Amino acid sequence: MRKLALLIVVVGLLALTGAVAAQDDVVTLEFWGGWTGPDGAIMQELVNTYNAENPGVQVNLTVQAWSPLFDAFIAAASAGSSPDIMAMHPQETAMFVNLGLIEPVTDIVAASEVFQQDAYVEKAWDLQNYQGEMVALPLDLGLHGLYYNVDKFEEAGIAAPPSNAEEFLEAARLLTVDANGKHPGDEGFDPANIVQYAINMQTNHHAFYQWYALYNQLGGQLISDDGMSCVMDLDKATQAWQWLQDLVYVNYAAPQGQTDYARDFITGRTAMLIDGPWQIPAMIAAEADGLNWDTAAYPTIFDQPAAWGSGHNFTFPVYADPEKRDEAIAFVEWLGANSFDWLASGQLPIRHDIIDSPEFAELKGRQPFVDMLPNQVLLPNIPKFSEIFASNAPTPMMVMAQRIILENADVRTEVENACNTITSILSMP
Amino acid sequence: MRITPSAAHRGEATAAQATKSLGHHSLTPYLFILPFLVFFVLFRFGPSLAGLGIAFTNWQAVRPPQFVGFANFQAMLRDPLFGAAFTNTIFFVAITVPALIIISLGLAIFLNRAIRGRSIGRLAVFMPYVVMSTVVGVVWTWILDKDFGLMNAYLNIFGIQDVPWLVSESTALFGIIITTVWWTVGYNVVLFLAGLQDIPGELYEAARIDGARAWAQFRFVTLPMLAPTTFLVVMLTVINSFQVFDQAYVMTGGGPGTSTLTLVQYIYTTSFQFQKFGYGSAIAMILFVLLVLVAFIQIRAYRQGYEGVE
Repeated sequence: MRKLALLIVVVGLLALTGAVAAQDDVVTLEFWGGWTGPDGAIMQELVNTYNAENPGVQVNLTVQAWSPLFDAFIAAASAGSSPDIMAMHPQETAMFVNLGLIEPVTDIVAASEVFQQDAYVEKAWDLQNYQGEMVALPLDLGLHGLYYNVDKFEEAGIAAPPSNAEEFLEAARLLTVDANGKHPGDEGFDPANIVQYAINMQTNHHAFYQWYALYNQLGGQLISDDGMSCVMDLDKATQAWQWLQDLVYVNYAAPQGQTDYARDFITGRTAMLIDGPWQIPAMIAAEADGLNWDTAAYPTIFDQPAAWGSGHNFTFPVYADPEKRDEAIAFVEWLGANSFDWLASGQLPIRHDIIDSPEFAELKGRQPFVDMLPNQVLLPNIPKFSEIFASNAPTPMMVMAQRIILENADVRTEVENACNTITSILSMP
Repeated sequence: MRITPSAAHRGEATAAQATKSLGHHSLTPYLFILPFLVFFVLFRFGPSLAGLGIAFTNWQAVRPPQFVGFANFQAMLRDPLFGAAFTNTIFFVAITVPALIIISLGLAIFLNRAIRGRSIGRLAVFMPYVVMSTVVGVVWTWILDKDFGLMNAYLNIFGIQDVPWLVSESTALFGIIITTVWWTVGYNVVLFLAGLQDIPGELYEAARIDGARAWAQFRFVTLPMLAPTTFLVVMLTVINSFQVFDQAYVMTGGGPGTSTLTLVQYIYTTSFQFQKFGYGSAIAMILFVLLVLVAFIQIRAYRQGYEGVE
């Protein structure tokens, strides 16, 4: 009996040791990203697949909106800890490099078979550079393009989506219809009873994204090369905003005070939509309700093509556990190599092997966005990015955009005010 | 009176017991509040003290703070965003507090009457308060949507044109005020109801016998008897209103422009979004001083009011 009891104890202890050993073998990686839309579920699926294929690693994906996510990242770092992998956007890396929170990835790139420069489109690679050093690894890119309602274009007798200012204004006129079927410029047109608008006009941060694209089409620069002041060309800045403001208040082509741009396009309230490729899944879903849609490049209204864009990338925090770095790199490499599955989120591929694949050619609506990638313009990657460009704060760009688009304020005054505020922010220590 | 040794002994024992039980008593209440006290010190009092110190520094959270003296307070005077946040908050308080007091008192008096469905009414009034602020914000963003919102649909029935609620500088703060009143009025109603139920029925009976009608009863019985409750409700409403943040942040993010930027949002924005914790703490200190001042004035006014009655 005593022997049996001893045996049970010994077996039990062995089992316990085994379990502890097994737990020790599993490396847990903390991976933070701000994909709060349907894209979050797609990233979670990718993580689940990786966890299933790699029993020795457990990746925990933490998702919350970008802004609070960054707050948490800073708070964690101030307490001396960080996630193992932190996703962000290329235009935000300067801020975190400056705070000393992310470290260069040059050594990873040198040793990686996945992250090789010639495997990626030039833009995607270049954007990961800050002050001559790679600080992040690219996942995807996205940019504004033009969605259009094919049926409404046919009804209006418009052969192709507009690509320049002249075509755009004519399409806008034909696609804006009042309750009596009249268009702007027709005798008796009633701006108070418009039943269909030509296009959307964002009243959030995407308004200044559009302005930034048009300002770049005019060849404008926003921040000085040394990053210390606003060097806005006031004439060009005014011209770009005036175009957008006139779409609402002069041409009646876009609704005033719009709040849900995709919904308005899907329900036929607007015939065109300026937005990113992330709306593609919603458009495909709306086909069941009869939406006949297609995409085109962001129109070149002024001198040269340019469209606002951004992307996602992976960074490696300074305060992460250095012993887990190899596993973190392996996971990110796996994500990079398997980024075709990420396309379901609507984002654009940046690897040549994916862009050139027959599978990608079959995906609807993405090609015009990819073709436009060389002309993608990103907001300046500067340490004080948040103070100037944050979308959920009274930043100079948000104030300028909303005063011009919602309040029909004098464009020149708002542009001057914004530029002065930007300079005062940048000149502060 | 003869004291036997045993009695003396008993007396000693009783005294010892009394001392023991006194000691026991003195410790017990502290033990009861200990869990709260620990949290209060760790998460309220401690951070507040730290905040006072941080207000005099330039601190990005991830680097050691630098002492800058009164520079943060001086910067506030030149900061148009602080000016906007301050003005908006005062305006919000000035409209919301009277609205919340008058409406909640009216509802409480109505729901204190012996009417059918009174319990359901009380529940319905209190229910919004249980809802999370972010959910309230999201739901009211829909209700106040300029093009498809429920509010404009109702207004259209009365021939009123669409109000741009959250997408106009002139109406956005009113949108937040309406939302806040809807959301928090139930809490005040519960407090007022408790106060109303404490007023003895005989007072109303006596007033009726003296010929007082409804208004006179309200003016000379209800209002004076409710004074302590009203004081509490006003105090809490003022403090909560000064701290307006969640619903405004969710619904407008401080916009359009700076029209709904509040002090607490600006504290959050400067500290966490812009990593200027020193400046954020300095604004928080100003808000703290403002609230202490308001509370002081209220307490004085209340005392004077009482002395006046006496």
